[in-house]
Amino acid sequence: MAVYERNYGRYQGPLTPPWSRFLILPRYAAKDVFDSRLFVAFYALCFLLPFAGLLMIYLHHNLAALKFIELPLDELKEALPINATFFRKGIEFQSWLCFLMALFVGPALVAPDLRNNGLPLYLSRPFSRSEYVLGKMTVLVVLMSLVTWIPGLLLFFFQGYLEGGGWLGNNLRIGAAIFAGSWAWLLAVSLVALAISAWVKWKPVARVSLLIVFFVLAGFAEALNVALDTWWGNLLSLSTAMNKLWFFLFGQEDTQRWTQPVWAAWLTIILGCALSLWLLSRRVRAYEVVR
Amino acid sequence: MTPEPRKKSTPDRRVVFEHVSKFYGDVLGVNRVNLSIPPGITGLVGPNGSGKTTLMNMMVGLIRPSRGRVSVLGLTPENPEELFRHVGYAAQYDAFPPGLTGYQFVEAYLRVHGFPAKQAEAMAWKAIERVGLVEAAKRKVAGYSKGMRQRVRLAQALAHEPSVMVLDEPLNGLDPMARAEVIDLFRELADGGLHVIVSSHILHEVDLISDQVVLINGGYIVAEGEIGDVRDEMEEEHPMQVLVRCDRPSLLASRVFEADHVVEARLLEDGRSLLIRTRDADKFHLALNEIVLANGFAIEAVAPADSDVNAVYQYLIGANGDKS
Repeated sequence: MAVYERNYGRYQGPLTPPWSRFLILPRYAAKDVFDSRLFVAFYALCFLLPFAGLLMIYLHHNLAALKFIELPLDELKEALPINATFFRKGIEFQSWLCFLMALFVGPALVAPDLRNNGLPLYLSRPFSRSEYVLGKMTVLVVLMSLVTWIPGLLLFFFQGYLEGGGWLGNNLRIGAAIFAGSWAWLLAVSLVALAISAWVKWKPVARVSLLIVFFVLAGFAEALNVALDTWWGNLLSLSTAMNKLWFFLFGQEDTQRWTQPVWAAWLTIILGCALSLWLLSRRVRAYEVVR
Repeated sequence: MTPEPRKKSTPDRRVVFEHVSKFYGDVLGVNRVNLSIPPGITGLVGPNGSGKTTLMNMMVGLIRPSRGRVSVLGLTPENPEELFRHVGYAAQYDAFPPGLTGYQFVEAYLRVHGFPAKQAEAMAWKAIERVGLVEAAKRKVAGYSKGMRQRVRLAQALAHEPSVMVLDEPLNGLDPMARAEVIDLFRELADGGLHVIVSSHILHEVDLISDQVVLINGGYIVAEGEIGDVRDEMEEEHPMQVLVRCDRPSLLASRVFEADHVVEARLLEDGRSLLIRTRDADKFHLALNEIVLANGFAIEAVAPADSDVNAVYQYLIGANGDKS
């Protein structure tokens, strides 16, 4: 059989920039996520608190709007001040909603690709393992950002706008805390969720594993602290570490008995992320050895 | 469009393995492989665990050799953007991200290649059309039959217009009609100047479609080249078998035995067929012509009995995959 020269033209036009290609992954993943009505309902509820916060800030500066209610408004205003505690408690609550989100979405991110041998198809293209992980992580990061630091910063700027008088400049630390703390938490939660998804193929088991990492380990850490009268147990608990960091970032004092130093809290978060990345690198591979 | 005749294939137009070995820890994948694969259809043949998938994974840059160098049209995995642009790969196993339709499956991977949305859409439909899956393209892949999955896998492998297509067991699961269509597609692609490298266990199909074959066993390349050439090289160890059907097979047997290159002439049970083993098929055919003319035999058929890839496989690897 004769073999001939290539006789058809190939596409010679411009290609999309390589850095942007990881965004293909979240496109379909997000569609899958929002196919679930349960998740859509849950996600809508995640915006309740930011909306309530918005309302509170507005009313705090526009008490006249509540004149028709016969309440001691000035006392109410003093009882609910818009300060670091207001923002810390809000963002902490939202962070736990992020955890629930990871519990819902995380297990379905990597495991199906591994189960279906999908990785060779991604990686036999100009697409690296890091880009794959980044693409999958983007699904969680975007969903979580929309309910944490993005509304948090919007509320922060809204309060600064209404308060005026240099409030924004005097409280820049609150804005920085919302941003840095949210990112630390959502990176840790996303990476742990992805790592578990890469190693545990069965969704319910993956969810239980995620609960173990964040709650059972925290309980174990607390037990260690009590038994040995030390704070070292806290190194095992991502949630305790994040709790410490929230207080530190917002410039508030953590009054818990076995509280660790700030560096130890950062170390726990960094080690948690590093361990998750290592687990992902062991699992996210282009091939399975077939012999 | 009339295809132009082939020019001589330079190394940059080939898939080249130079002293390539791959070990998975202590386990041998392939060892000391030297190959130079020209355009056309190449059949990669060997028993399970022989190293076919390892070779294919190295061609598409999914794994790196432990030793040696692999280049595809002069490109190496150090230049992934270019290499992957030229290589299309369909894995042996189902590899479908969940929840996607056939169209989304093909289009998503084109976007990963970097094609803009409109271009990717056009290319996806073109590929889907080529594999005859247009009607099912909007259905989820999870609901496809095995044959449809095989086709959509082919579509994603060829959608970005690669120069080298590496297809692991691409004929598995296809019904005879679909198989014939896919083989025609391979031929069309190969005639267009592509490398179509297919692994298969179905030897007669490999024989039917391949311009050349690579036989691999236990991680070593056992033979490589056009199947006729490979068979010719084995004549000394495994004399060629020719089946002749005629009116007086006993007399023909006695006559052909006079030639020194004929090592065996066996009458078959039907009483009209003769199986002749010869160390020189060309000389035998010349001698057969003379004998037939001189003796007036009525010849019904003359056919090679073991010049196909199946016979070569049996001789070199053995039915159980043991090298003979």
